[in-house]
Amino acid sequence: MASVYIPVQNSEEEVRVVLDQLPRDASDILDILKAEQAPLDLWLIIAREYFKQGKIEQFRQILEEGSSSDIDEYYADVKYERIAILNALGAYYSYLGKTETKNREKEEQFISATRYYNKASRIDMHEPSTWVGKGQLLLAKGEIDNALQAFKIVLDTAPDNVPALLGQASVEFNRGRFSESLQLYKRALQVFPGCPAAVRLGIGLCRYKLGQLDKARQAFDRVLQLDPDNVEALVALGIMDLQANDSIGMRKGMDRMQQAFEIYPYCASALNYLANHFFFTGQHFLVEQLTETALAVTTHGPTKSHSFYNLARSYHSKGDFEKAGMYYMAAIKETNNNPHEFVFPYFGLGQVQLKLGELKGSVFNFEKVLEVYPDNCETLKALGHLYTQLGQNEKALEYMRKATKLDPRDAQAFVGLGELLISSDTGAALDAFKMARTLMKKGGQEVPIEVLNDIGALHFEREEFESALENFKEALGDGIWISFLDEKENLEQTGVSVLGYKDTGIFHRLIESGHSVDVPWNKVTTLFNLARLLEQIHKTEAATFMYRLILFKYPGYIDAYLRLAASAKAQNNLPLAIELVNEALKVDDKNPNALSLLGELELKNDDWVKAKETFRAANDATDGKDSYAILSLGNWNYFAAMRNEKRNPKLEATHLEKAKELYTKVLTQHNSNMYAANGSGIVLAEKGQFDIAKDVFTQVQEAASGSVFLQMPDVWVNLAHVYFAQGNFALTVKMYQNCLRKFFYNTDSQILLYLARTHYEAEQWQECKKTLLRAIHLTPSNYTFRFDLGAVMQKSSSSTLQKKKRTADEVRSTVAEAENAVRVFTQLSAASDLHVHGFDSKKIQTHVQYCSHLLEAAKVHREAAEQEELQNRQRLEVARQAALAEEARRKAEEQRKYQLEKRKQEEELRRLKQEEEKFQRIKEQWKSSTPGSNKRKDRVEDDDGESKPSERRRKKGGKRRKKDKSSRARHYEDDEEEAATMDDHNEVEDEDANTNYNREDEMTTQEAEEPVDDDAHDLLAAAGLEDPDVDDDEVPTSGVRRRRALSSSDEEGELMEESHPNSSPQKEKEESNGEAGDPNMEEEEEEEEAN
Amino acid sequence: MKLAGLKSIENAHEDSVWAATWVPATEDRPALLLTGSLDETVKLWRPDELDLVRTNTGHSLGVAALAAHPSGIIAASSSIDSFVRVFDVDTNATIAVLEAPPSEVWGMQFEPKGTILAVAGGSSASVKLWDTASWRLISTLSIPRPDAPKPSDKTSSKKFVLSVAWSPNGKRLACGSMDGTICVFDVDRSKLLHQLEGHNMPVRSLVFSPVDPRVLFSGSDDGHVNMHDAEGKTLLGSMSGHTSWVLSVDASPDGGAIATGSSDRTVRLWDLKMRAAIQTMSNHNDQVWSVAFRPPGGTGVRAGRLASVSDDKSVSLYDYS
Repeated sequence: MASVYIPVQNSEEEVRVVLDQLPRDASDILDILKAEQAPLDLWLIIAREYFKQGKIEQFRQILEEGSSSDIDEYYADVKYERIAILNALGAYYSYLGKTETKNREKEEQFISATRYYNKASRIDMHEPSTWVGKGQLLLAKGEIDNALQAFKIVLDTAPDNVPALLGQASVEFNRGRFSESLQLYKRALQVFPGCPAAVRLGIGLCRYKLGQLDKARQAFDRVLQLDPDNVEALVALGIMDLQANDSIGMRKGMDRMQQAFEIYPYCASALNYLANHFFFTGQHFLVEQLTETALAVTTHGPTKSHSFYNLARSYHSKGDFEKAGMYYMAAIKETNNNPHEFVFPYFGLGQVQLKLGELKGSVFNFEKVLEVYPDNCETLKALGHLYTQLGQNEKALEYMRKATKLDPRDAQAFVGLGELLISSDTGAALDAFKMARTLMKKGGQEVPIEVLNDIGALHFEREEFESALENFKEALGDGIWISFLDEKENLEQTGVSVLGYKDTGIFHRLIESGHSVDVPWNKVTTLFNLARLLEQIHKTEAATFMYRLILFKYPGYIDAYLRLAASAKAQNNLPLAIELVNEALKVDDKNPNALSLLGELELKNDDWVKAKETFRAANDATDGKDSYAILSLGNWNYFAAMRNEKRNPKLEATHLEKAKELYTKVLTQHNSNMYAANGSGIVLAEKGQFDIAKDVFTQVQEAASGSVFLQMPDVWVNLAHVYFAQGNFALTVKMYQNCLRKFFYNTDSQILLYLARTHYEAEQWQECKKTLLRAIHLTPSNYTFRFDLGAVMQKSSSSTLQKKKRTADEVRSTVAEAENAVRVFTQLSAASDLHVHGFDSKKIQTHVQYCSHLLEAAKVHREAAEQEELQNRQRLEVARQAALAEEARRKAEEQRKYQLEKRKQEEELRRLKQEEEKFQRIKEQWKSSTPGSNKRKDRVEDDDGESKPSERRRKKGGKRRKKDKSSRARHYEDDEEEAATMDDHNEVEDEDANTNYNREDEMTTQEAEEPVDDDAHDLLAAAGLEDPDVDDDEVPTSGVRRRRALSSSDEEGELMEESHPNSSPQKEKEESNGEAGDPNMEEEEEEEEAN
Repeated sequence: MKLAGLKSIENAHEDSVWAATWVPATEDRPALLLTGSLDETVKLWRPDELDLVRTNTGHSLGVAALAAHPSGIIAASSSIDSFVRVFDVDTNATIAVLEAPPSEVWGMQFEPKGTILAVAGGSSASVKLWDTASWRLISTLSIPRPDAPKPSDKTSSKKFVLSVAWSPNGKRLACGSMDGTICVFDVDRSKLLHQLEGHNMPVRSLVFSPVDPRVLFSGSDDGHVNMHDAEGKTLLGSMSGHTSWVLSVDASPDGGAIATGSSDRTVRLWDLKMRAAIQTMSNHNDQVWSVAFRPPGGTGVRAGRLASVSDDKSVSLYDYS
């Protein structure tokens, strides 16, 4: 047992004091020390012992007394011990200041420490231990440079002063100059190999900072060998163990932290690590205790930040988001809002703000995390989610896509991406979900039902029903639905219809036969989706069964009631549909979907007032934010405007304005709502603004294509209506037909009625008729179609009768048409329940009478048409006869022309002959008058003689040719010879010509007359009429015309032939002479006289 | 059991083909197919090549229904102008022209022994029965109306009889209406026996099972084919899958299947044991207004035949085996 001995003054005796039995009251020991005037070093020993035992107050009491003014008097000559006591007090107060958390108290402690050190300096300003103490104080105050100077003063005079070396090493460490620090620690060790373990701790820390982990570990181990209770070494080794990141290291690390805590419960680092550990074990009370202690004992920002972070996490995991947020923010502040210092609190704060709905703050903090870790997938996904909620989908997509690229194996990122893309790009969304599913399966994870459900829903929306079915089945797994779906088991089918929705007997029977009808809560949604899909592909029994199963297990599932109601409505069972909707409203009487469906059913049931109230209730249930309810009210107003058969202009305008207001309201809230746009287009069209309406409808039509959930035949019909109003009948017909085929399998008789109306306006009677017949065949109980059929046949008949020219076949068709119209109207007249269709018996009777009258008129016209046809046939015969007569006249004309030609030729030949004879006579006279002429003259005569024979030969040849012809030709030759003997008798020629002409005229007249007679005869025979006077009148007219024609022709022919002989100058000359007559003769006489 | 396409005649008529029925074989010739059209003609075809035998004219406003006498000697055709013409199949000689104004004429069927022709009377809410020996109207089977129809009550006009079917033994007659009502009459006593529930939309076609006289099949605009117990009044089952109106139902002679024609342009074959469609033929381009199994009989005839006709003007023939 350690003891100290206090010598008794003025004696040889000593008082023995056992150190582990120091009195509780320090005053007792002080009394002894003072009374005996014990050496001051004993005071120090006892004080230190008190300190070690944790009795700080006693420690301080002894030292304070040991440095009092009294001691200064009694021990004035004892300098070193007095300085030692003062330094101890200075060190004590430095320590207090360092650990104090309140700035004011901290400052006071530092002031006290300074005072004691200064007092020590006044005793001996060169004492090294005092300077070392001051250096420590300055380090504690953070005045690194001043501390350096203090240690330097010591080392300048005593280079091997170990405390100063250690102080300097600490200064360099704080400056981040770990290499220099290490050297100083090593030097201290060299100087004093028996140094306390703290020196090796310093070495270890330097090694750690320099990355020399193995050496650091060796140093720390050495420290613990020397000092098993060294807390710093334990913490350091613990941290290194934890960083190994394996289970053994984790265990060892936590064990060391525990040891450190048990040794010294005020080490902030150990406290933080322990708190972290208990956070993960869920012992939040311990987390709070440890963390709050850590916060109390440290002023180191990063360490405090870590403490706040642990507290925040604890509250976060307990769901106290507000407190968690506060502590995360405190953690951030401790690092001066620098995410690079400690980024985790930003992430935590972002998550908490996300929970609390403070989206913008959350975005801010997650963006901070990205500043430090740009490729952190968790943060990217969180931001994607946040931007989605803030409505910034493009940014959201950007982040989510980046997340999937950075970690292509992160299934969750693909799920997030898919959810983002659902509304904008279903194809890409589907791809993302499929990728997520693939990744999960590869990783051996179970694919969540939500992912499979989403994949199925997307396939469904894209009308890929087989794929949708497969995914829903996979999502659901085994269950009663599979048996029913695959139709493998012969389940009892009686009563599987909407009608028996309240009958749960089928399920009880299934249970009794060993089937399970359980539906886990997390599968209900997918089961509903499966049923909805079966409904869509018209497997109605299976769908109905599943809706009923859902209701059997979850009676509050409103949507199942509504789908059953929709199914009943589709089968035209309105009472059942209404009953089902009311069941849904029992669950939630303000459900907007149920109210809207109820309103629709009430409209269909023609209960307008009730429907309006119901739609208003639906609107109120959603505070006016549900588009469907507002639209329904808009539609109600529109129908109200149109429905009034008396067409009250004011009321109509009011309803239209209200409808427009409501449609506009929806479009303001959702500018892409196609139903509201369609409604607006309708109002525009009703106001006659067809071009604008057409644009609206066209855009809606384009937008509505491509989705199974957006079937809008209405807009097609509306477009067709606009084309009709604008008179574009061809486009109207095409649009109605396309709509019928695309949406209704050509079964919608109302649209057929519109189509028929278009044909009617375009006056395409037969097309109109056939369209109406098709409508009647589809909906035979609708008598409007029959009435219209009668009307169009009536119209067709009367329009044919109004034509100026009608064929007998046309009239016969008209008669048949009129007969059919009479029959149709007669049947309508006799049919019962006419009032249901709004027909007036009198009106139908009027139609019957009109059509009967039309029929009689048609028959008269038929007879007239047939007579006309007969007359036409007769006229054709007359024309044929006339053609024959014309042919005969043409031949006669040819004959006459031929004869004229021949006469002309003969005359020409005759003239040539006469001229030649004259010339011969003149020559003969000249020869006889000059006997014995010279030789030249003789030659000339010879030449002349030679030419003459050739002329003669030609003439003879001509004659021979003529002789070869008919006897008439010979006759003409005779005439010519006669003419030769009568040189001066031109009149005779003229007479001949006249005679020929007269004969020809006679022939022509005779020929003309004969056909006339024939024609008259034929006409009489063909006509068979009894009015000969008409024929007599006509025939002479024809004859007269023909004569005139003949006359003209003759004259023309004559003139033409006269011009023919102008073929040679000689002939012209001769002709000219012939025409002149007397002058030629005079010349001849003159020549004779000259001779 | 399955169907295989044998032959299709496009443009068999000049316009929509609305009706088809088989004329049973006689000693002198095999069974023939009779078709009626909006183009107002009735045509006669010889299987399996569907050679056109003759075109009958004379109807107005479109031929809506056809019926063949079980003897195969005579047949009846009706049109929207509400005349029924009874004619000799081989010579086309007119035997009788029937009308019963103001009653319209829709579905028709000869009683299995051939003594009566039943005619659906449309808005008269009744079925007219004509004696085939004298061609006189011998009875009118009326569908009950609501006791006190209100002016606003539109259902009264919907008791419009569209379709008729005889039970194999000729004792029961079923008729279908626009409002989905199916009535079953005891013919001998001219008495209404039951009303069968299950449809709320027009019942366009009815047929009794040839092997179970209690079972009646109905096709409706609701897209369903229902099986009823015509004696017990219960709905035995409902088969869905057509995406639009079921326009025609016929039972195979062996009783194992039924065929349906629909507005959805398809012909479906339904297995009655599985109560499910086992085959869908999609060769038509428009509504399939009539499907008809060839009746058994005729020299050397073993294979089954099914005919279908469509708004697309075509006639199709399938092998049923």
